[in-house]
Amino acid sequence: MVSTLVEGLKERVLTSISMYQSVCVVLPGTNYQDLIQALFNCMREKHTDQWVYITVTRPFDNFVKMFGDLSRYPNVVFIDCISRSSGIMKRDDQCIYIESPTMLERITMEIKHIFRNASEDMEKFIVLDSLTSLMIYNDPTLVIEFFYQLLNRARSEDIHMLSLVVEEGELDRHINKLIYLNDKIIKVRDTFI
Amino acid sequence: MTFGVCETGIEELDAQMGGGFPVGSTILIVGSSGSGKTTLCMQFLVNGAKKGEKGVFFTITEPLFKLTSNLEKFEFFDRSLVDDGTITIIDLRIIFERLGLDAEKYTVEDTNALLGVIKDIAKELNVKRLVIDSITALCYRLQSKEMIRDFIFKLGTFLAAKECTTFLTSEIPPKTFIFSQYGIEEFIADGIIFLGEVERGGDLIRTLQIVKMRGVDHSRIKYAMSITSRGIELAPLLKTR
Repeated sequence: MVSTLVEGLKERVLTSISMYQSVCVVLPGTNYQDLIQALFNCMREKHTDQWVYITVTRPFDNFVKMFGDLSRYPNVVFIDCISRSSGIMKRDDQCIYIESPTMLERITMEIKHIFRNASEDMEKFIVLDSLTSLMIYNDPTLVIEFFYQLLNRARSEDIHMLSLVVEEGELDRHINKLIYLNDKIIKVRDTFI
Repeated sequence: MTFGVCETGIEELDAQMGGGFPVGSTILIVGSSGSGKTTLCMQFLVNGAKKGEKGVFFTITEPLFKLTSNLEKFEFFDRSLVDDGTITIIDLRIIFERLGLDAEKYTVEDTNALLGVIKDIAKELNVKRLVIDSITALCYRLQSKEMIRDFIFKLGTFLAAKECTTFLTSEIPPKTFIFSQYGIEEFIADGIIFLGEVERGGDLIRTLQIVKMRGVDHSRIKYAMSITSRGIELAPLLKTR
């Protein structure tokens, strides 16, 4: 059942991201793990493309524990925004550590640098995990401004964007405002499959 | 008279000025301790040297070995540019000693002697980029605002005629929006780059802003500045606090 759900999510994400430039996945916290698994499957399947995975929710090290050696995903560069501020000082060549999730402009700089070095014939993808976590560390209006900038830049540079929103009860009004900026919204429900 | 453009090699900074600083201008790089003044100046010199423009860096604030060892950490730095003389790094305190300029306060003659040496070095090396780090420490020994004005003006005029673009670093206390210690340097300089910081959630974010640049239609927006192993990088600062 779980693998069916993961496979279903993967297909849905892959189809949406190939049709739309920006996609937002809204999901309950209980399905977070499934979506992450589905996203890693997507990244492995589209291994000839360049992916940037921005994590504000879990430390990079946690993904290593979940999926093992991530050098199997050489097309993915991780930007970890929370390890340093949580006092985790590990290092990994596949991950760029940002001192604090408040340093949003630094995320922009790192994305620019990664894609500058990517081959022109590669499709480019950004995963933002997640808008909900960014709101914890920053003023919501700041996150809105950041997301607008990121989205505009992605549109002008032909980068596909996938942002995650973890839904706990009622959606925050600021997040509500943000998700409708995307071209496509996928709402994952318990009844999804 | 038309000016050429002196690129810093920092893409976003050059773009804010339509390509770079006017050749021959004197720019004050203002900031408190740790704001990135020295790194900005070095990146400017190294990127020029990579295009074949000779440069000289006069330091008063750091011993040479410390300065070069700090530079080794940056990807933009190329040791061979120092070894082959494209970049010359000079400890001004050694020049003070050699000229016997060890007085606490300089006379007009002392100041002229120092100015003469800097001009001679710039001329002999035929440099197109020059840095004094810092003008604040250097001017500390000049006795009056008139002497400071005269020193910077004469130096700037000489270097402009040689088509040499000059960065002078200006030290200010933290969390202040002033451009110099003596209140005179900013009026003589052609440009002012202000390196500051903003606090967000208790974290300090470095910023860069072009306050003034004569002869250029430049942006005045505040940029977030990051110093990594790649050197200085900029992105527009988010407006919301």
